[in-house]
Amino acid sequence: MTETAMSRADMMTSRVEARSKAVRRLAGGDALFRNLTFAAAIIVLLILGGTIGSLIQGSLPAFKAFGFGFFVTDVWNPSDDKFGAGAAIYGTIVTSFIAMLIAVPVGLGIAIFLTELCPPALRRPIGVAIELLAGIPSIIYGVWGLFVFAPFLQQYVQPGLIAAFANVPGLNALFAGPPFGIGVLTASLILAIMVLPFVTSISRDVFNTVPPMLKESAYGVGCTTWEVVSSIVIPYTRVGVIGGCMLALGRALGETMAVTFVIGNAHDISASILAPGTTISATIANEFTEADGVLYTSSLIALGLILFMITFVVLAFARLMLMRLEGKAGK
Amino acid sequence: MDMASSNLQAEAAGAALRDKIVVKSLDFYYAPGGAKALKSVSLPLKLGKVTAFIGPSGCGKSTLLRVLNRMYDLYPGQHAEGEVLMDGENLLDPSLDLNLLRSRVGMVFQKPTPFPMSIYDNIAFGVRLYEKLPKSEMDGRVEQALKKAALWNEVKDKLKSSGLGLSGGQQQRLCIARSVAIRPEVILFDEPTSALDPIATAKIEELIDELSGDYTLAIVTHSMQQAARVSDFTAFMYLGEMIEFDDTKKVFTTPRDKRTQDYITGRFG
Amino acid sequence: MASIYPARRRRNSMWMSLSVAAAAFGLTWLFLILAVLFWKGLAGISPDVFTQMTPPPGSPGGGLLNAIAGSLIMTVIGVAVGAPLGMLAGTYLAEYGKHSRLAFVVRFINDILLSAPSIVIGLFVYEIIVAPMGHFSGFAGAVALAILVIPVVVRTTEDMLNLVPNTLREAGAALGMPRSTVIQRIAYRAARAGLVTGVLLATARVSGETAPLLFTALNNQFWSWNFNQPISSLPVVIFQFALSPYKDWQQLAWTGALIITLAILALSVTARTLSATKRGEA
Repeated sequence: MTETAMSRADMMTSRVEARSKAVRRLAGGDALFRNLTFAAAIIVLLILGGTIGSLIQGSLPAFKAFGFGFFVTDVWNPSDDKFGAGAAIYGTIVTSFIAMLIAVPVGLGIAIFLTELCPPALRRPIGVAIELLAGIPSIIYGVWGLFVFAPFLQQYVQPGLIAAFANVPGLNALFAGPPFGIGVLTASLILAIMVLPFVTSISRDVFNTVPPMLKESAYGVGCTTWEVVSSIVIPYTRVGVIGGCMLALGRALGETMAVTFVIGNAHDISASILAPGTTISATIANEFTEADGVLYTSSLIALGLILFMITFVVLAFARLMLMRLEGKAGK
Repeated sequence: MDMASSNLQAEAAGAALRDKIVVKSLDFYYAPGGAKALKSVSLPLKLGKVTAFIGPSGCGKSTLLRVLNRMYDLYPGQHAEGEVLMDGENLLDPSLDLNLLRSRVGMVFQKPTPFPMSIYDNIAFGVRLYEKLPKSEMDGRVEQALKKAALWNEVKDKLKSSGLGLSGGQQQRLCIARSVAIRPEVILFDEPTSALDPIATAKIEELIDELSGDYTLAIVTHSMQQAARVSDFTAFMYLGEMIEFDDTKKVFTTPRDKRTQDYITGRFG
Repeated sequence: MASIYPARRRRNSMWMSLSVAAAAFGLTWLFLILAVLFWKGLAGISPDVFTQMTPPPGSPGGGLLNAIAGSLIMTVIGVAVGAPLGMLAGTYLAEYGKHSRLAFVVRFINDILLSAPSIVIGLFVYEIIVAPMGHFSGFAGAVALAILVIPVVVRTTEDMLNLVPNTLREAGAALGMPRSTVIQRIAYRAARAGLVTGVLLATARVSGETAPLLFTALNNQFWSWNFNQPISSLPVVIFQFALSPYKDWQQLAWTGALIITLAILALSVTARTLSATKRGEA
């Protein structure tokens, strides 16, 4: 008995020795892999840092030449080497604002429909369809806007708008003719259609974080569907909904191809939303490859920097909001 | 009951048997500066015997088990103080190679944890970490391990199919086979039957009985009947303290501590 | 109580009808776009599209062969470079960094990059590659796409690894596996379907990207295997042809748009089915 125990102990010692060798071999690979993942995580930070750094460096000539005036003047004259970002910033903000004005209520409506009203058999197919539509590249929306939507607006909608508001003070300036088809309003509408799937799918996901028990309790005291939505679902998910909308706004602000086709690329700030305009991204897309001269290129890069800063703030805010909702759902 | 007398008990119980692992005044913290989850726990694990840890939920029995293979090291902030000696070597030594330790101290979990690969690979995978074996020898190892876990007859015709396709009880025996295949010296069972039906449970218990002798076993269970059936020694824990350690028969027939008595007669827990 | 109930019911039906109307309105537009795309795009589908080069201005005929090939090459290289990097970074976040401050920052920055305007990434690549090299190149285009792939893959990798139960990692560790082996051989394998889904979705996303290619890869009317030269891609060709005055070019733009959309829909549907069947199993 003791003897066998002893020889077993010997066997174990030799086995342990063989294993320590194997372990030492594995340990090297272990540290290597860990460092690789760490390096990759750092690369993510470098991409952001590099983007900001290179844009700042590229835009220095423009900022030096035009100073703060670059942000507010709407002169964009390549032949005189005079540039100002005013018109592009204005167009970016106006198109995104109008787009959100339409996409948010409609998107929330679809999300409410999907989470509360839709027959269960349709819920998944419609949900999947919305997500697939969110994946369609923006250039498709742009081509459609140029060939189908803009002519349609020009022929049937814009003349009506101009006539209808011609005698209403204030609004007649907003809807002043002639009907070009392309212009700020058309770009805004295309943007709205494009961000609609985003708003919808994010709001739906956010609505789904409401604990079923909470909703059931409300239904339990006799609330109607609308009362459950307006007094339970929306208050509970408010930060998430705001975060989701900001995320969509971030997309709209930076969206390039859907807008470039139909905005008209005119560096003017005009009161009428039927008039052609431009946005930051459309300006860059249209002019960058043709830009000659240091100042022209630098001004375009400066536009890119401004766009990146605006979207960075909006997206950071959106993420903070969504994180607050996640924290709540985690509890 | 004070510390000294519980140590004395531990020494008295089965003094003739060799100790495989000796736990001495072990404290455990889940967070730095946090409350003690284990308070000065001491006990031996006898070579080739089954030791059961029982006690109400949250008493620290699983925590104690996870100290024995340093599983807690996966989670930053958790740490243990005291001594855990295996064949005289302190397992709490920070310079100890954990992978090596864990190849010597195997573990079977509450829920079956088959890896997402074939039945054969589930077992061969662990072996390959430490040994380069020719195919025929590996086949032998796999067969031997599956036989040891009383699973061979059920799976010998489908070794190439996924381990996830087995029933819960079979999966748990696969996990035991996986552990056995790398030839550990100690195997820890953390409530191994809590997710299984009574028939599968009976098979696992039978298996634990057969494995004892070849291996030193420790089992955490919340079923007192199970502890009584499978173990040679029983440790009763309560609120992070080791209340009583003794021969299983003695613990269940003539418990010395009032709290042990209350627990095994079902007055709390 | 009885007196307000009808009012409550009326308000409910009003809002609910609005919600149904919103759904109908929104979905109509989206499906209208798809319908027009198919109608216009199918009209130009012919073998020529896949066998002929893009035509010079004003001449009839021609196809999209060089554009399709260029898109494929740049997408494949972009994904081949970006996906492994993204998977490694996602692994760091899910397995090593977890609650560390660095992981928090990386996660936050990554989420921002995920929705950052892609045209800005194009400018970045222009600044670091095109400008120093002095000319546009397919290489620069692929780098731009890789940078767009990374955040998508980081996010899905982290999410999918977080779904792998911790007990599986403990079981691996309990056999004496080092951390890296547990991750590579067990966690990756358990999360395989999700990881592939992430890469497919990232591929879908970049294969329609236009803006970052405009001033990195530019365009090329001819076949080009030289990665150091401008290279054609479907989105850029669509952009230029759609804005041209030539009917033939506009038709090719519609057809190209249909091809891209179909490819992306196929990728997304595959990705979704993959993750759905996986979830069904588990």
